[in-house]
Amino acid sequence: MIHTEREMWNSQVDRIKVAIIGTGNIGADLCERMLLDPEFEVVSLIGRRSNSPGLMRFKGRIKYLMSEGIEDLRKIISEVDGVFDATSAHAHFTHWEIAKSAEKWMIDLTPSKIGTPIVPQLINELPFMSMHGAGSQNFSMVSCGGQSGAPLAYALSNNSQNILKLELSSSIAALSAGTATRDNIDQYIDSTENLLSKVSGAPQVKTILVLNPSEPPVMMRTTVTLEAESIDLEEARVQLNDIVKEVKKYVPGYEVAVQPYSPKPGLVSATVKVRGAGYFLPSYAGNLDIINAAAVQTAKIHTTKSRLVRKDK
Amino acid sequence: MRMKNFYDVTLRDGNHAIRHSLSPDFVKRYCSTASESDVWAVEVGHGNGLGASSYLVGESKYSDYELLEAARNSLNLGGPKLAVHTIPGFATVKRDLIPAIDLGVEIFRVATHVSEASVAKRHIEYLANKEVIVHGVLMMSHMIDIRGLIHQIKLMESYGATAIILMDSAGYFLPVDVEDRVKAIKLETEVSLGFHAHNNLGVAVSNAETAIKFGAEIIDGASMGFGAGAGNAQLENILATRLRLGDEIDIAPYLRMSLLVEEGFMDNLPRTTSSSTQSGLSGVFSGYAPQVKQISAELGLDVNILWDELGKRKLVAGQESMIREVAQDLMNL
Repeated sequence: MIHTEREMWNSQVDRIKVAIIGTGNIGADLCERMLLDPEFEVVSLIGRRSNSPGLMRFKGRIKYLMSEGIEDLRKIISEVDGVFDATSAHAHFTHWEIAKSAEKWMIDLTPSKIGTPIVPQLINELPFMSMHGAGSQNFSMVSCGGQSGAPLAYALSNNSQNILKLELSSSIAALSAGTATRDNIDQYIDSTENLLSKVSGAPQVKTILVLNPSEPPVMMRTTVTLEAESIDLEEARVQLNDIVKEVKKYVPGYEVAVQPYSPKPGLVSATVKVRGAGYFLPSYAGNLDIINAAAVQTAKIHTTKSRLVRKDK
Repeated sequence: MRMKNFYDVTLRDGNHAIRHSLSPDFVKRYCSTASESDVWAVEVGHGNGLGASSYLVGESKYSDYELLEAARNSLNLGGPKLAVHTIPGFATVKRDLIPAIDLGVEIFRVATHVSEASVAKRHIEYLANKEVIVHGVLMMSHMIDIRGLIHQIKLMESYGATAIILMDSAGYFLPVDVEDRVKAIKLETEVSLGFHAHNNLGVAVSNAETAIKFGAEIIDGASMGFGAGAGNAQLENILATRLRLGDEIDIAPYLRMSLLVEEGFMDNLPRTTSSSTQSGLSGVFSGYAPQVKQISAELGLDVNILWDELGKRKLVAGQESMIREVAQDLMNL
């Protein structure tokens, strides 16, 4: 019964039609996630090898399984509302050109830094995360450290006066860090620091990433520490817990591991941990889960806004 | 003729013992004295290396560059080489490695946790194309079997590292463990090998000597053992051992270096204590000692129970922020 109702509902609303480019861990997880989400229709998954395991996995489940990369993106672009790019920073430049000229939105899961950095929960709080809803826009998901740490950075900095410095350190399961993460560790640090300085306004920011190989794999943990002239610890706690409740709506495994405390006068620190939802990736890969959850959430928010814009017209 | 390359980590690992407060003035005095010795290299900086000053692992009182500049100006040209330790994830090429090259650093040791050599690929490749010596460091090397160790060594070599240093960061090894590893590596690779000991179980000098005996080319030591946790292999004692075994060594400058440290840091000289013995047995990173001591005192928790639990959870270097979480779990807070 429920099944039929859902199908009825589906036929009544406009589903968000998307293409995913990139068939690695991130692309496959995104695909599984959106296939289960009635708000989306995954029109196409695009890879570069017809026999890649990422593509084979979705045989018979997606309208267009394609393997010619950029050429296929050109072919399919008119049939979708937007594109998720799960390839590399280098390839993203070309992909974005195609989406832009077709006036489609794009969600960038690479560390290219082209797009507007977005943390879904903070869109309404921070003007730089502008989502105007009109035309074509590129949204950057920044990094897993950025997605997990920005809510912390926001709650702590929002309750501090005269911030001097902010630091984010994450530890992730080594198994969840593929070649791309390892090769791009400097870009990861750079783009995360860029987001943090925008979110907190701190004149000095630092990002640290540690890979932990222990078995069973560890959950992702992110600690943010902030130095300021004065800090309202109680308010920071209240606000952090409010934000975490909201983030949990799209990342159920997001939780506070260490509540804000003051390690010494002038400093405040707190830690969150992230358990993955386990769509395609194992649950220890909370770092990959949070960036994909943010990508999907961003697409939904943008679509809602752009539909409102269209109605206004 | 020096037979081995003795590598002095006093001004880097020793920084752990004084919460990274080493001053340019001390660096100058030490480097001037080291220039009278035949030590191959002097490593300088924050205990966790370039760019590591942070709330997480401790803030440096003086910047990397103040310390490196002091060292550069005091080391004779043609004398001991200026070296740094650097960990990808803390340091980046642009922010840390390039300025260090410009400052005249001659040896870069790019370090990762023992099973994660591939994180160092880009940094090693970058440095291999510059006019500097680049070595790879495998930290916490007790946390992998010998087969895995050899695989990681070959990875680092393939990126362009011209020597690989095994760090016994937890001070867990016995001489027989060192013998097994050095022998196996020498049998299966052509790599120049270094060894870096910690003294948690009181066998650091024996471990260093064992590494020499079985063919390691680079031996780390610190004057007065000045280093993290229970400290490093005491440099002057490694040399004294070599002297007794017949090497031609002028030990006098090493004794003067040792005296500088002894007099300069009387209250902070590392020792093998009950706590460091437990940390060694638990196989936990030596650099955690100050935080473990502080947090267990703050929460009223037995320090050895905390070490034991950190060992069970297999923490790696750089996870200082988890010490509090683990302690709180133990206290059911």
